[in-house]
Amino acid sequence: MSKNTRIILICSGKGGVGKTTLTANLGIALARQGFRTAVLDADFGLRNLDLLLGLENRIVYTAQEVLEESCRLDQALVKHKQEPNLALLPAGNPRMLEWLKPEDMQRIVSMLIDDFDYVLIDCPAGVEDGFRNAVAASKEAIVVTNPEISAVRDADRVIGLLNTHSVEPIQLVLNRVRPKMIASQEMLSVNDVTDILALPLLGLVLEDEQVIVSTNRGEPLTLSSSKSPAARCYTNIAKRMQGEEIPIIDPSKEGSSIGDKFKRLMQTKIF
Amino acid sequence: MSIENNERQLIKFPLRKEEDWRTSFKSKLAKFKEGFIEVDCKDWPLSWKDLVKLKSLLERSGFILDGIYSQIPETLVSAYSLGLPTNPLLSKEAEGNYQTQQNLNQSEERVLFHEGTLRSGEHIEARGDVLLLGDVNPGAQVSAGGNVMIWGRLLGIAHAGKTGNLNAKIIALELRPLQLRIANEVARGPEGKPEPGLAEEAILYSGSIVIRPAQTIFVNKKTHTIPPTP
Repeated sequence: MSKNTRIILICSGKGGVGKTTLTANLGIALARQGFRTAVLDADFGLRNLDLLLGLENRIVYTAQEVLEESCRLDQALVKHKQEPNLALLPAGNPRMLEWLKPEDMQRIVSMLIDDFDYVLIDCPAGVEDGFRNAVAASKEAIVVTNPEISAVRDADRVIGLLNTHSVEPIQLVLNRVRPKMIASQEMLSVNDVTDILALPLLGLVLEDEQVIVSTNRGEPLTLSSSKSPAARCYTNIAKRMQGEEIPIIDPSKEGSSIGDKFKRLMQTKIF
Repeated sequence: MSIENNERQLIKFPLRKEEDWRTSFKSKLAKFKEGFIEVDCKDWPLSWKDLVKLKSLLERSGFILDGIYSQIPETLVSAYSLGLPTNPLLSKEAEGNYQTQQNLNQSEERVLFHEGTLRSGEHIEARGDVLLLGDVNPGAQVSAGGNVMIWGRLLGIAHAGKTGNLNAKIIALELRPLQLRIANEVARGPEGKPEPGLAEEAILYSGSIVIRPAQTIFVNKKTHTIPPTP
């Protein structure tokens, strides 16, 4: 491997914490910064990265055909309509799980590294074969978790497994943070989570209804210059991945200033 | 594959400084009978990937990997994640023979040292004492035939004296475990956080597990005592 392509696994252990959403949004954000980015859906059983990116109806070939050598890689890669820097390699048939080996995954990724600066791998939930396949191909990892005890426990388990696969560095993204609930101590605080997981925090993502809207539309939040809180968080994470020093928001101060309140009012679209 | 050979057999890696284990592994392997085999990885740090390769190499020659011995915690953790039986023993007696290692009863003078945090699902096991430099996270477990000493936080499960040693202790800089076990006794961890900066120990006192501030003089059997600093 000659190039410095960064191959990043996005994983969480637990399902539903926001791996796919983060992959889609980071992919777009990195592409907007001018990096050639490939997102690889490794969740063969329950694929939906294509849905989030709004590319479902453009898929002709998948990773399966690439591995079977019945098509070329560039035929299978789906370019994003608005962000040509971003390409998706879709997951194939769920039955791929039966025969896919870690070596296959490594083969796919080694084909991608020549043409891309970033390869983001959307890992399936769980720590079984799907996870092992995805890990085998990755160099570094971002662990996504929510401020709840089950998600943190699963993330901890996954970090342990990543360590045994010599994946480095591993960074943490804390997703779906609700400042109000943290303030009233109904939710684990950022410190509670980093205390257990002991990983460098790459960013927080605030809970935001806009995420649901954007998912259903198939347009990741980072695509538009939306001012939604989550979009800002995702963009900042993408910038921090370049080593830019952007302070991590303090959830206890978030949303308390008059400006923020006004912004929220604007987003409700009463006006 | 039918296995007729039920004997326990152990193949040893050379030490790292001597030679690469791969060079003479196949020729060594030829001396063993096909069937179950355990591997002593000595001081080789092996990742999960290495172990998968080792396993398939053995399988191709008609062996079934039945366990991993190692002096390196990383290797043990990797082996554990593959579901292989692991054993941290075998180190000093690298030159000794296998039979005596099997018959070793409590080797309490030996301390298994592990540096780094134990994460959920990980499990460290030793026949003697365990000294762990790092945290034991919720969902992780440390068990030892002797004492469990944790230079960090114990948030998971610790089992001291698992072979019945009633004098075994569990010591941690911050003792707030899910569960404590000493010999055959089990106790739930205390509710709430302990005072910060206060190391505590759990001992067996008239049949139940009690927690008290860690004693400054740690008396480890008859052999040696660490004198208190003046």
